Order: sequence, then structure tokens, then C-alpha cells
Amino acid sequence: MKWLRHNAINIYAGVAIAYMLIPIAVIAAFSFNDPEGRYNYTWSGFTLEHWENAFGVEELTDAMVLSIELAALSTLVATAIGTLLAMALVRYEFFGRRPANFLIVIPMATPEVVIGAGLLSMFLIYPFVDLGFQTLFIAHVMFSISFVVVVVRSRLIGFDRSLEEAARDLGASPLTTFRTVTLPLLAPGIIAAGLLAFALSIDDFVISNFNSGTTVTFPLYIYGALQRGVPVEVNVLATILFAVTVAAMVFTIWQQRRAERMAAVRPEEEVEMLPATPAVRPAPGGFGG
Amino acid sequence: MIRRRLIPYFLLGPGLIWLILFFVVPMYYMGRLSLESGSLLTGFEFTWEWSNFSDSLSAYDTQFVRSFVYAGIATLLCLVIAYPLAYAIAFRAGRWKYLLLFAVIAPFFTTYLIRTIAWQTILSDQSAVVDVLDAIGLAGSNHRVLDEPGSVIAGLTYNFLPFMILPIYASLERIDQRLIEAAKDLYSSASQAFWRVTLPLSAPGVVAGTLLTFIPAAGDYVNAELLGAQGQAMIGNVIQGLYLNVRDYPTAASLSFILMALILAAVVVYIRFAGSEALMGEEAERA
Amino acid sequence: MTKKLLIGLAMLLAAFAIAACGDDDDGIEAGGGDEEGATETVQLEGEPSGDLTISNWPLYIDKAGGSVTGSGTTIDEFEQEFGVKVDYIEDINDNFEFFGKLQPQLDQGESGDRSIFVVTDYMVDIMNNLGYLQTLDKSGLPNVEENLLPSLESPDFDPNREISVPWQSGMTGIIYREDLAPDITSVDQLLTDPKYKGKVTFLGDMYDDVSLVMKAQGVDPANATEEEWNAAIDTIEEAADSGQIRDFTGNAYAGPLAKGDIVAAIGWSGDAIQLEADNPDIKWIRPEEGCNLWSDNMVIPVGAPNPTAAEAFMNYVYDPEVQADIAEYVNYVTPVDGVKEILAERDPKLAQNDFIFPDDAFTADCTPQATPDPSFEQEVTERYQAVITG
Repeated sequence: MKWLRHNAINIYAGVAIAYMLIPIAVIAAFSFNDPEGRYNYTWSGFTLEHWENAFGVEELTDAMVLSIELAALSTLVATAIGTLLAMALVRYEFFGRRPANFLIVIPMATPEVVIGAGLLSMFLIYPFVDLGFQTLFIAHVMFSISFVVVVVRSRLIGFDRSLEEAARDLGASPLTTFRTVTLPLLAPGIIAAGLLAFALSIDDFVISNFNSGTTVTFPLYIYGALQRGVPVEVNVLATILFAVTVAAMVFTIWQQRRAERMAAVRPEEEVEMLPATPAVRPAPGGFGG
Repeated sequence: MIRRRLIPYFLLGPGLIWLILFFVVPMYYMGRLSLESGSLLTGFEFTWEWSNFSDSLSAYDTQFVRSFVYAGIATLLCLVIAYPLAYAIAFRAGRWKYLLLFAVIAPFFTTYLIRTIAWQTILSDQSAVVDVLDAIGLAGSNHRVLDEPGSVIAGLTYNFLPFMILPIYASLERIDQRLIEAAKDLYSSASQAFWRVTLPLSAPGVVAGTLLTFIPAAGDYVNAELLGAQGQAMIGNVIQGLYLNVRDYPTAASLSFILMALILAAVVVYIRFAGSEALMGEEAERA
Repeated sequence: MTKKLLIGLAMLLAAFAIAACGDDDDGIEAGGGDEEGATETVQLEGEPSGDLTISNWPLYIDKAGGSVTGSGTTIDEFEQEFGVKVDYIEDINDNFEFFGKLQPQLDQGESGDRSIFVVTDYMVDIMNNLGYLQTLDKSGLPNVEENLLPSLESPDFDPNREISVPWQSGMTGIIYREDLAPDITSVDQLLTDPKYKGKVTFLGDMYDDVSLVMKAQGVDPANATEEEWNAAIDTIEEAADSGQIRDFTGNAYAGPLAKGDIVAAIGWSGDAIQLEADNPDIKWIRPEEGCNLWSDNMVIPVGAPNPTAAEAFMNYVYDPEVQADIAEYVNYVTPVDGVKEILAERDPKLAQNDFIFPDDAFTADCTPQATPDPSFEQEVTERYQAVITG
């Protein structure tokens, strides 16, 4: 009984995560379906055919590749910009702080239809970029910034400044402090924000629809296909995308564990390392030449 | 000294410029549209048509109310489901922390549309799931789950869960464990320590998560379109329809502004209530 | 605090002012050219060459190996014969959605790089009234002159076929589950039969839905008055509110029908063949009251690059040999005369297919979709939209 009480929350967590993964399981299951016609709604039979030919639907594969490129690029930019913004908002007193806060919150309160349509109208009157990847990129960064700010900010608030002060006391410049103390401590928040931005970008449908010109992203392809029969390859690619990201994450964690274990193995060596460090540095021009 | 003063502006620069160029300016155009009258055929003219706002609000008040109700319920459900999960990941997961976090976000990497379509399949009238729900009596008088408010709310909840989990996790994770230990040293029980120490300290995360969930949920239309029927249409569906099918841009624009205003009003009230320091980063005053 | 707020607001206003200064346009206006119809005429220049971008509906042209440019496909052969590079994009899923995406550009006299769109009759009308379409140069379309089916030569919205050329035609009727609802024969049943309450869907497309209901009410869609439009919409609204109509699905009725969530839907003839392949109990029928006839038409928008190649393509697909390939793959009504004979040799069963070559008996009482008079078009469109969104 006590075991149950203590572990209730863990059991709950397990159930909750299972719930979150149910649709993924369904998607994966239907990727093995063998429908007669165009529609993949009822189970007809098991086949590996669509897995073997996963990239066979040309337009679909192109759309997927495009979505990934777009998401990667816009995530990088949005996370960088958003983190800077969050730092400014939380740590500094400046002119126009309230309006700036306001400006960042408003895009999140705006229906995507409005953002999408508004952006399009503007791109046409000021056509400094072509409708297509570039406009999608601009739009995706735009709506991601607000989310990045909110996530990073909630991490920044209550951040233990004393660690940074300690670094400063030890003679580090502001930039070094930022690089070696603040940033690593902030990292989980930034990574969470980055993941969110990436997911938002891959997922985005409404805003992309208005600003894509002739470019087709993965969600746009699916929406179109919904009307005419979603090919099984869509399920296959979605499952692959999911599996790849899971694998990437597992790999990262495994690497991290390895690094931890490696570091734990040589404690005595570390002590000796300190005075010997200058000698270990390679002589100038030592490599190559 | 001067350089120090300028730092915040350099930090703010890129972000604010981006937002102004690509958000504020388009909004200006929307604003103009909302005060125009006419149709695509006869041309739109700027006539300070304030009646667009009152007319559209009264014509679509049902959908507004419905959207806020659905979004509100979905947000509450998200909070209830997400908090214990975020707690478990932050405090009980240990080495598995990042993996679990990842399991939370991973569904996001299959598209919104596909996930919702999967729910369409799972909740279709003939499925085993619905049979069970019907037996329990949760399937309503029509003996179906799809095309009823329940499925739209369920869809909203499911799709916005990560938005709730991540901020709460982020803010729980950086709570100094020593504070909790201190509370326990002072003879509080585990649950008291939770209510008095952990929960208040996680407030910023809860506030952020609630807003991140409620706001997009209120303007959503995909869930209502795929999982619901005409009786469940939300204001997002109305705006999309007005813009694309009816091409009544002034009404669509005015509805959009009303939606934004209502959401902002709700947000302001909520922040007042929840404590503005948590959200607005008043911290800087101290520093 | 107040001072800061004021200054912040001033900054925002400044941003608005900058935006306003650069704004010569009123935003969205009517008519890229004139409001009375196409004023720009296609200028043919010698032999076709260069690039051609076409926007069409999905699954509307033959494919080989899953691609429209696979070896032996219509596009592939066109590219080889004329030396034109074709970019064929299947991005039209809904007339209005497509229109909404392109309208701002069309307004500026630009076509989004596309040379051909394929849109349904009523959308041709709408685009034309806004001046977004070019008048075709018939000297570039001899095959069309020769082979267009007589029944399609003179539609209401384009009496001389000067702005549009049919791509494929189709019929809207009832698609239903024979095993679950064997007695369905009329639209009226869908609206009123209590047995099927909550198991019926409509398209949500005003032109299709309301035309059929008007026919059920004994009204001639082509000449319907505003009262008659409203009466038909009233009926649909009643059925929607009471839950008789479960949903307005757009083209996405296939799923619920296949799963059995609904037993009958207003649907298109071409879809039925694919659905039947999945489930032999699914059938398309012409309702008792009659069905709707429509075409999806090729049009050349204003500002289209390379209209010469565009007309060459339009002409090319009106060659019966070429059209036969398309007809074999797409299961809609072909607008080109002479295809039936060609297919009779390749695939006799296909040549007998009512959906591709309907005879007069099959299309008895079928009429083109109704379009509302411009004087009340906006009102009924908005009204119907409100019905769809509850």
C-alpha cells in the first residue's frame, strides 16, 4: 500500500505518457495497412510495401525535406533572437519595457488565420522576398520568437544570480561569465524552447498555407491529401520522423552518460592536470605545417 | 558606463525589429481592413465602419462563447494532467529526465494534422474505444464521440498538452531542493511542503503554461474541423470561412481584432490575479 | 511609469506611421484590371518554349510510377514534344481556399508564377468578374474547337468559351452505403428521413448543396430568385440544427462513409469509383430529383508567364489520343469527343463506364450548378457559411 502511494505519481506519469503516444501508435500501425483504393481508413491487411517504397511519393518526400530544412533554420534563428530578448526583458531596466513585453505577448494572442493573412498582404505590397521558402522562414521565426521568450523567461526568473556573481568575483569578464556560467545553466530552458520552436515549425499549417506561394510543406501536403485520400506513405514518413527524433535523443543521452562515466573514472589525474596544463598545450605551429 | 546602458537595446534589437516588421505592420493592414466596407466585387473602401465590430460580435457571439468554454475546459484538463507529469519528470525521473521530456514532445514531430486524424480513427463510431465509452455512458445521446463537443475538447487538450508540460517542468526543475528540505526540517509533511513551497515556486511555469495553452486553443479551428461538426464550430472556423469562402474581409478582420481583444482582456485579468511579478519579470527592478 | 507607457505607445504609433506612409494601396481591392471581365488577351508568340507552371487538383492527371512526369505520362510526352519544362503542382483542394491564397496577387495583376489554373465553373465566374482572367486566343486552340463536347460549348458563365476550357467534368449526387441504407434514392430523404438522422453529410459547398436542395423543392436552379435561394438554405439550416445532417465535410466524406459513421453523403461521381474499390458496398447514384453537372476548367490568369506554352498545353490535351490516357486514369467525365472510341479498343469496360461517358439517360434531370445573381451573392454566401459554422 505504501509502495502504491509512493509510486502513484510514477505510475501516473507512465499512463500519461502512454496516452500521449497513443495516436503515434495508431499512425504507425496504419503505416502497415494495405488499402485497396486511395483511402487509408479501415484496416485491410498487413504489408511492408509502403515501407519499402517510403520515399516513393515524390511530392510527399519533397514536402517533408522542405519542412525539416525550414524548421531547422527557423529554430536556430528564433531561439537565438528569443533568448536575447528574454535576457533583456528579465535582467534589464530600460525604456519601453512594458510595451516590449506587450509586443511579445500579442502574437500569441492572435489567431493564426489573422497572422497568416496579414503577412501575405504585406508581402505583396512590399515584395522584397519571393513568396515561398523565404516568406515561410520569416513567418515561422516570427511566431516562434514569442514562445521561445516565454519558455526561456520562465527559466530565467528566480535564476540564482549568486553563481554569476561568484564568477565575476573570481575575475571573469561579463562575456566569459555569460559563456561559462549563465549559458550552461540556462541550457535546459533554451533547449526546451528550441525543441518547441522546431516542433511548432514542422507542425505549422495555417500560417504556412497563406505564405507558401507554390512551396508545399509537409502539413500542407497532408491537408490537401486529406481531401483526396492520404497515401500510406504519409504514415510511414511520420513514423520515421518520430523514430529518428527518438533515436537522436536516445543517442544524445547515451553520449552524455558516457561522458559522465569517463569523467568519473579519473579523479586523481584531474588534480595532477592543473599544474601540468601549460605543457600540454600544443606548441604553436605544432600541427600541420 | 554608456555601453552598459546600451546592452539591453542590442539584445532587444533583432527580436523587436522582426516582430515590428512582420507582426505589427501586417496588423496595421488588418486594422484598416476591419474599418472598411464593401465587397470584393464592388471594392473595399475605408469608411470608419465601426459597425463591423458590433455586427460581427452579435452575429457570432455563440461561437465566441463556445471557443472560450472549450479552450477553458481544455486548459483546465491540461493543467490537471500536466502538472503531476511535469512533477514526476522534474523530481522523480532522475536519469530518465530528458528521455521522458522527449517522450512528451516527440508526438509533436508527427504533424498536428496527422495526430488529429489518428484521433478521428480512434474515436470513430465503430471503434472499440467508443464502444467502451458508450457502455460507461460517456458517449452522449447520439452514442458517438466524434462530432460532439467532447471530442473537440479532447483534441484540444491532447494537442496542447506539451505547451503546458514544458513550462511547468522548466520552472519546477530549477526549484532549489534545499528549500523543500528546509520545509521538511521545519516539521512540514510531504504534502504541506508541496502546497506551501513547491506549488507557489512553480507559479511562473503554471502561468506560462496556462497562457500558452488557452490562447491558441481559443483561436484554433483544426480540431473543430476534423473532430467536430457544425454544432461545434469555434470562432477560428468562422474567421477562416469568412476570409476564404465568403471573402468578407472587413467582417473577418473585425472578428479577429475582437478575438485578440477578448483574449488580451482575459490574459490581463489572469495576470493580475496570478501575480504580475511572476510573468512580467519585475525581477529586473531588484537587480 | 505613465511616462514610460506613453513613450512606448509613441514608439508603436511611430511603427504604424511608417507602415502607413509606405501604403499607397488600400490593401485589398477589387479587380486587377476592370470589373467587367477579362480585358487582357493572350498574346501568342511563335512556338512554345520555356517553362510552364500549372496548378491543378490532385489525382486529375495520369501518373507513372507515382509521378506526373514519369515516363509515358501526358506531361512527360508534352515536355518531349514541345521542349517545354512543366512544373505541375497539385495544390488546389478547394476553389475558395485556392482563391483566397492567390487573390492578393491576382489583385496586383500577378498570377503567382502560374500559367494555368483549373477551377470549377462558379470560380471561373467569380475570377472573371474581378478581371483576373485573360481572354483566350482561339487560334491557338484548334483541337478544342474541334473536339469539345457540344454540351459544354456554351455555358452560362462563358457563352463563347473565351476564358475557359473544360479539363474534366463531373456529377454531384449521392454516395451511400448500399449495405447500411439500401433504400436511399433522393436528397429529400437525406434531409428528412428520421432513420438516417445524424448519419448524413453534405458538402458545405453552397453551389452543390443548395442546387440539389432547390431541385428537391421543384425549383429550377438556373433561374432561382433570392427567395428561392433562401428557402433552400432554410431547409438545410433546419436539418443542420436538428442534427439530421451530421457534418459538412467538404471532400472529406470518404472517411466517415468508409467507416460507417455515416450512411450517405452528397458526393462526386469520380470519387465513387475509388471508394468502391475499397468497399464494394459504396455506390454513387443520381438522386431522384436529378444531379448537378459541373466542370473544372483551365483558365489563364492575368500576368501569367508563357501563355503560348499554356495554350499549347490546353490544345494538346484535347487530342483524343492524349485525353484517352487521362480518362483512363481519372474517373471523371471527359470533355473531349472521340475518346470513347479509342478507349473501346484499349479497355472496353472502361468505355462502357457511365461515370466517364454518361449517356443522356444517366444524366436525366441533371443541370449545371446554380450561381446566385451578383446582387444577392454576398448575402447568400455569408448566410450559407453561417449555417456551416453553426
